[in-house]
Amino acid sequence: MLRLPALATAVLVALTLAFVASGWQGERRKLAALLPLPPQGSYAVTLAFAPERFHQVQLQDKGRVVEVRGHTVYMKDVAPPALADIAREYWVTSIAAWSGT
Amino acid sequence: MSGGTLTLGAPSPVAPRVRRRFGRMLKGCAGVFLLLALWQISVPLVGLGPYFYPAPTDVGAAFVDLVEKGILPVYLVDSMARYTAGLGIGALLGVACGVLVGLNRRASLALSPLFKFLFAIVEVAWIPIFVVWFGYGPKTIVLALIYVVFFPVLYNTLLGVRTAPQVLVNAVRSLGASRLQVLRLVILPSALPGIITGLRVGAGFAFRGLVFAEIIAAKTGIGYLIFEGTQSQQTARTIVGMIVMGLLWLGIDQFYLRPVERATIERWGLTVDAEQRR
Repeated sequence: MLRLPALATAVLVALTLAFVASGWQGERRKLAALLPLPPQGSYAVTLAFAPERFHQVQLQDKGRVVEVRGHTVYMKDVAPPALADIAREYWVTSIAAWSGT
Repeated sequence: MSGGTLTLGAPSPVAPRVRRRFGRMLKGCAGVFLLLALWQISVPLVGLGPYFYPAPTDVGAAFVDLVEKGILPVYLVDSMARYTAGLGIGALLGVACGVLVGLNRRASLALSPLFKFLFAIVEVAWIPIFVVWFGYGPKTIVLALIYVVFFPVLYNTLLGVRTAPQVLVNAVRSLGASRLQVLRLVILPSALPGIITGLRVGAGFAFRGLVFAEIIAAKTGIGYLIFEGTQSQQTARTIVGMIVMGLLWLGIDQFYLRPVERATIERWGLTVDAEQRR
C-alpha cells in the first residue's frame, strides 16, 4: 500500500549513507599526513576551483579565513573537529599545514 | 516443465501494467525533450546573451558546476530540512487545532474568528516581522512554512471532524466508549481523508512559501539560489534552481503525497477518479 514511500525513503537513506561514508574516507585520506593534529592549527585548504562566496562562508564557520590565493584558502585557528568537517567536504582537494605567515 | 518439454506459464498480469506505466512515462518525457529542443533551437534565433536567455546546455553546465562545487547539495539539504520541519509542525498544529475547534463549541466560538482573520494574511506579509523577531535564517523560514501549512490542514480537519457520521459516534458511545475512544475510533478515522487532503494542499502551498521565505530570509537554500543567480548575473543558476524546485515537487508528490492519498482517500472510494489515476 505504501511501498513507494518506503522504497523512496530507503533509496534516500542509502544515498545519504553512501555520501557520509565517502566523506569519512575523504577525511582519512586528506588528514593522514597531518596527524597528530594540534589543538589549534593553521592550514592551506585547496579546492579544485577558485572558491566562491559559498565556500568562504562555509570555511569561515570552521576557523579564521586569512587569505584566498588562487584555488587555496589560508586559515588560522582551526580546531581538529572543524578540520575533520572541512576534510569531509568533497569539494576540498587537499589540506596542508601552513606556517600562518 | 515436465517430461523434457518446456511449458510457458500464463503471462504475468504485472507486465501490461508496467508496460502501460512505462509508455506513459515515455510520453511524458517526449514533451520535455520537445520543449528542450525548441528552447535550444530558439537560442541563436533570439540572439541574446546567456545572461538574458541561457541555452539548455548552459543550464546543464551550471547544474554540473553547482554539484561539483558542493553548492547544490547543501542548498538542497537546507531547503528540504526547513520544508520537512515546517510541514510536520504545521500539520500537527493544524490537526490538533482542527480537532479542538471541531469538537469543542467554546473553542470554536473563541478561535474561529481569529483563524479566519489570520488566514487572510498571507505568509509573505509575516516574513518581515519574523525577520525582526527571529533574524535571518531557518527559524523565520520554518515559522513561515508552519503558518502556510497550518490553515489548509486546520480547515480540512475541521471539515472531517464535523462530518464524522453521528450514527457511529452514538453507536460507540452506547457501547460505553470514553470521549478519547470516540475520538480515536470514530472521529479521527473519519477525518483522515480531510486531513490528508489538507496536508497535500498545505504541502503545495509550503513549497511555494519556501521559495518566498528563502528569497527574503536566507543565505542558503534553493529559493536563495534562484534569487542569488540573477543578482550575480548567473541566470543559468536561477533556472537550475527553478528546475530543481519543480523536480523536487514532482518527487514529493509522486513518491509520498499521492501514495499516501491513494492509501487513504482513494482506497475508501472517496474520489471519483480513483481508478483513472491508478
